[in-house]
Amino acid sequence: MEKIDLITPVERAMRILSRLDVDFYDAVALYSRSLSVNIMGKGVKEASAQIDVGIGVRVFKNKGMGAVYSQSLEDADVEATVNQAVSFARISQPDPYFKGIPGPSKAPEVPDLCDGEIVNLTLEDAGRIPKGMIDAAESVRGGAMYLGGFAANHSRAYLMTSTGVSIESEKTSASAYLQPVYREGDDVGSSYEFDFAVSLSEIDFYKVGKRAAEKAIEQFSSRKAESGSLPLILSPESSSSLFSALLSALSGESAVKGRTFASGLLGKQIAPEILEIEDDGTIPGAIASSTYDGEGVPKRPLNVVSRGRVMTFLHNSYSAGIMNTESTGHAIRGGYRGQVGAGPSNIRVKPGDSSLEEMIAETKKGILIINASFSPNMVSGEFSTTIDEGFLIENGEKKHPVKNLMAGGHIMDLYRDIELISKEGRTFGKGFFFPSIKISQVKLSGK
Amino acid sequence: MLILKDLLESIVQKALNEGASFCEARFFEERGNSITIENGIARSLSSGILKGVGIRVIVNGRWGFASTNMPTKQNVEKTLRDAIGGAKSITAQAGEEARIVEVKPSVDTIIHEMKIKPEDVSPEEKVKRMLEVEGAARNFSDRVKDTFILYGDVITRVIVCNSFGTLIEEVAPRTRVFCRVIAREGDNMQAGFEGLGNVAGYEIVENIEVEKFSLRAAERAVSLLSAHPPPRGTFPIVVDPRVGGLFIHEAFGHNSEGDLVFSGQSIIADKLGQKIASNLVTIIDDPTRQGFGHFIYDHEGTRAKPHILVRNGVLTGFLHSLESSAKIGGEPEGSARAQSHHHPPIVRMSNTYLAPGDLTLEEILEDVDYGVYLAGSQYGYVESQKGQFTCKVEEAWLIEKGELTEHLRDVAISGLTLEALKNVKAVGKDFRMDMPGMCGKSGQGMYVDAGAPHFRIDGIVVGGRR
Repeated sequence: MEKIDLITPVERAMRILSRLDVDFYDAVALYSRSLSVNIMGKGVKEASAQIDVGIGVRVFKNKGMGAVYSQSLEDADVEATVNQAVSFARISQPDPYFKGIPGPSKAPEVPDLCDGEIVNLTLEDAGRIPKGMIDAAESVRGGAMYLGGFAANHSRAYLMTSTGVSIESEKTSASAYLQPVYREGDDVGSSYEFDFAVSLSEIDFYKVGKRAAEKAIEQFSSRKAESGSLPLILSPESSSSLFSALLSALSGESAVKGRTFASGLLGKQIAPEILEIEDDGTIPGAIASSTYDGEGVPKRPLNVVSRGRVMTFLHNSYSAGIMNTESTGHAIRGGYRGQVGAGPSNIRVKPGDSSLEEMIAETKKGILIINASFSPNMVSGEFSTTIDEGFLIENGEKKHPVKNLMAGGHIMDLYRDIELISKEGRTFGKGFFFPSIKISQVKLSGK
Repeated sequence: MLILKDLLESIVQKALNEGASFCEARFFEERGNSITIENGIARSLSSGILKGVGIRVIVNGRWGFASTNMPTKQNVEKTLRDAIGGAKSITAQAGEEARIVEVKPSVDTIIHEMKIKPEDVSPEEKVKRMLEVEGAARNFSDRVKDTFILYGDVITRVIVCNSFGTLIEEVAPRTRVFCRVIAREGDNMQAGFEGLGNVAGYEIVENIEVEKFSLRAAERAVSLLSAHPPPRGTFPIVVDPRVGGLFIHEAFGHNSEGDLVFSGQSIIADKLGQKIASNLVTIIDDPTRQGFGHFIYDHEGTRAKPHILVRNGVLTGFLHSLESSAKIGGEPEGSARAQSHHHPPIVRMSNTYLAPGDLTLEEILEDVDYGVYLAGSQYGYVESQKGQFTCKVEEAWLIEKGELTEHLRDVAISGLTLEALKNVKAVGKDFRMDMPGMCGKSGQGMYVDAGAPHFRIDGIVVGGRR
């Protein structure tokens, strides 16, 4: 396959910009090739291939920013993109918080982020992959209608900045998803399972299909539950939203400008001492790893919550500048079209000493949550969420699935009321790790 | 544009020559501009152009799709080879057969009119106007701590060419303004939102009455500081047109999408012709109506018509693509759209609404002894296969003996589609549709709108903290 040249258009943009009266600028070009095979209804429905390229240019003049992108890397289009960005930068107004963009830094390369198997994957090969997932589900129980698919992506990027950063990066990812729906009259058994990774060989398609079917069957005969205040046990799939919400709320300018519920948490004890959360974008072969962040700052591990206390924000250069500190390497650049923001990489919650079985066994009455999002109102921290999949626990045993049940409260109460953390959990994409957790009491709305 | 159309036609012919039983070549271009205003500063101006070709084929009874944003003849021909290769790659796999209805070809060009083209207004002028809009909110109260305005305009050009002989070009503008205000008192922070958008040019910005627009967001943020958590449990609820629109879109609308119906993901798949809602419920999806989801031809080149989905409580139809029409019966009436050239068309809602009844808000409220009045929509989602939905709203009030009393914040509702539709007990006459937004489905975002009059639903779970 012909390799698309990303360096020449970026260098061209930088050359033009170097002759103009502007303060800072950067240019990024990106190539990505995505293959996907969609599953719908009785099985595989469609196979598709997308090739996307583009260039994004940011220009700063008197602390004002112009940002323009183009999906064409032709000389004339690159020139037009640059000129438009310059003109926009001159019109926009000084942002008093802007202090410049980072210069170059050297960092050891984070290995194993590009899988040759995905780079060389053909659509013909990709078309065969989902079969294992569907066969596995059918082996558990036949006759489901499905939604799901398999996708693989290979991307390359080249970033240059006026401060001397020049970085080429290359990455792959693959994902699998299956949602079987079984029906018995008006009763529905439905759930889903997924996996994602840097390398194709790390995804166990058979396991995804089998687990999806098993979880779906368990959802038959769901019943409404009473309102009340009960302990909640969150599986790793649902505890992930609780911890991701905290790290997102501690990220970037929204956090330091006082726009999130976590803006005032620096140095505060928010949870029992058993809670430890690390963010690490340097794990070899992990889905959210990279050698450098979106601004060319080296990634590094960060203790975000230590013994239940919030230790740091997750900074890009802009939010770090506001607090007169250094970037923590958490800039996220949303491709060539996106702005530069900030956010977590691989979030790892330290395992505790309990287990999911123990948590259930010691619960007289509670709810086991398999799937629910605890993402709160990011400003106020209040949440009100439907328990999409869960089970009633009575006298230490998992009973029937529940439906039409909501949990509500303030997200800070959930962190404060963490009672147990399991030693086992689930690793996602070789990087993220979330355990099961038990929260002592949460308000529930039901019948 | 003729050269481009010739290219698309030649690709479609080439696909047929190479064994495809159907081919659709679609050119997509979207030119967009945006301005971000933050606390009195026009912090950034942005723009960009998306452009490319997506090709969909049926070969050996299977779908293949491929796209490129380098639409030269050579690249587009390679893209066709990828699409054909994709279909062939899954020929041997057990799965869902690709089948479409045969339709008469359409040849047409539609250019939506604008009173003021966004490109005719200078960026400086747009910045000046947005600063005025933002300033009204910022100066509303000393408790307003943060203001944010996002202005955006896009011009979308779509050309659809398929092997039925269809050749459609449609050019549509969309202009949007979004406002967020954060108010603070001690540790208590609350946000208020306001937004507008339509298939229109810059005239909708000219028409903004600042006092009514950004001030609404500011007033809401400040008033929410003293609002209370909602009660927990199952209550009668009365919804305003925005929450009503969100409910109709999430609880019912997705379930009516033909692709979810034929793939077993809809709770109403087997209920055509049956009573699924109270007599008061008539639900319409109308792409021909002015609104953020307005268009004349869908992205399969089918001319759009209004779709009556539920009439007086009876399920009368589904939204269709060429494929879902073939699989579950019914005429394709233009509901297949794609986010860009990188995405195949899928069944989407457009402007979806509950038809008005004949009551006033006071009459709807007067029968409620104790319940919750919900206003302003944030977001929602549905598990269509189970028929369980969630809607998050901006603010609410307790209803006590027919009167709105205590102001409530951070309220969400959850319900079961088939129960909730039957429990619609009163429908107002004060219809409004102004919920411009993006709906996400299968990894694609799409312009939609939704609306309703005020109406009452009994037995809805209200999530809360009390």
